[in-house]
Amino acid sequence: MNGRVGEPGSPVSVADVALPLGGLAVATAAWWALVAAADVPPYLLPPPDAVAAVLLGNPGLFVRNAAATARKIAIGGGVGIAAGLALAVSISRLRWLRRAVYPYLVTVRVLPKIAIAPLLLIYVGTGMTTAVVFIGLIAFFPMVLSTAAGFERVPAEQRDLLRSVDAGSLDAFLRLELPYAVPDLFAGLKQSVTLAVIGAVVAEWIVADSGLGFLVLLASENVQVDLMLAALVVLVALGLALYGLIAVAQRRLVWTPTAD
Amino acid sequence: MIEIDGVTVAFDDVRAVEDVDLTVDDGEFLTVVGPSGCGKTTLLRTVGGLQEPTAGRVRVNGRTTDAARANAEIGYVFQQHTLLPWKSAVENVAFLREMAGKPADREGARRLLREVGLEGFESARPAALSGGMKQRVAIARAIHLGAEILLMDEPFGELDEITRERLGVEIRGLWRAERKTVVFVTHSVPEAVFLADRCVVMESDPGRIVETFDVDLPRPRTDEAYSSDAFQEQVAAVRAVLHEDRSNPSTAGTTLTEV
Repeated sequence: MNGRVGEPGSPVSVADVALPLGGLAVATAAWWALVAAADVPPYLLPPPDAVAAVLLGNPGLFVRNAAATARKIAIGGGVGIAAGLALAVSISRLRWLRRAVYPYLVTVRVLPKIAIAPLLLIYVGTGMTTAVVFIGLIAFFPMVLSTAAGFERVPAEQRDLLRSVDAGSLDAFLRLELPYAVPDLFAGLKQSVTLAVIGAVVAEWIVADSGLGFLVLLASENVQVDLMLAALVVLVALGLALYGLIAVAQRRLVWTPTAD
Repeated sequence: MIEIDGVTVAFDDVRAVEDVDLTVDDGEFLTVVGPSGCGKTTLLRTVGGLQEPTAGRVRVNGRTTDAARANAEIGYVFQQHTLLPWKSAVENVAFLREMAGKPADREGARRLLREVGLEGFESARPAALSGGMKQRVAIARAIHLGAEILLMDEPFGELDEITRERLGVEIRGLWRAERKTVVFVTHSVPEAVFLADRCVVMESDPGRIVETFDVDLPRPRTDEAYSSDAFQEQVAAVRAVLHEDRSNPSTAGTTLTEV
């Protein structure tokens, strides 16, 4: 049907691909032109080809650090997402638990999680664990809030319908509640993964041992703008890859809610 | 058979249903009509085992409503179509039966969709169906469950009048073909009269039965009945009961002027 661009299940046209690529080409050309025309010194803003040369000149450096960042995101994000999912399911089943914790979940949402990083340094130390805990915390909140909201979408009459035939509670969960929550679950997942990438960079600034965030920090201290930009390009690629993975899963798994 | 003995349902200090006695025979088409808030939906939910009575008891085929639910003896149709938006029409018809733990019968589900006039829409999602078509799927789903008893809570309440009348004729036809016992709740007097073998009139605050009519219209009932004099007379009789003022004797005798 006439779905909007980016809606799960909508076909991708040539223009959907060509226009963004064209935009990227124009922006790169403008960067090039600016550097050449204004005679910007390369240590302030290197031209795109210089950044590409840094990237291609030492691919091992970027692969190694991207892997370190990806590992933190996978472990920390995985733990945060799993915990968020588990709590969302729990509070959807247990009304008293929902009433006890939900107000605080909503309250804590306004706290910039980055502000608690120094606290973690004191409690957890300065290693991988700190990074994992920090990324986990950041990924946890959007996951639990979004998924819990999804479970709230089940219409009361749908629950009554299943009660009218005395359906089992596991059946009700798997066949009714979970499918209703799944679009919100994926919305939460996308937010959590995006935030986990931010969390990983911040963690690498604080813990400062490895990863793309660490590379950016290091390059900044040495005023190597070309290295910084190259690291940022890899970071963007990493974030896009993670986001894309979820978008593909969503296309395959999720029905599209429509106004009814 | 449904036996309702002295059922009262109270919410805090509101008596939604008060001391209702009613028996619905096997194969009977009973309608319950009354204003909003008269407890007709609550009464239906009590029969379906979705609401515990405060006092009194309900027996379905001689057993408790919980036993009736456990054996999937009651097919419910709600005002909202309650179709699952990610499932096709035929999957939605099959869904309730699956949830009741009964053996799957895909061919039966397709046959019922044909019977309610939805041949060719088997794989359509609810979003692609009109309001009337969605309720047809919901009705097919309730019949497909295989229950003897159908409880219908204003199933046509959100449809336009033309669709309502057409579905009224169809539901009578289905009821005859499938030999079900139907309790049909509505706030539309013409609908209640057209569908009924027997029509129960309720009033609100507290919700109780004030009158029961045996509806005498030709069977099988076609859309010609809508324009017959007998139909108009019985609608007028039910209306008269509904508009009778029983609560406040001081206004008795006041005539209502139509605007």
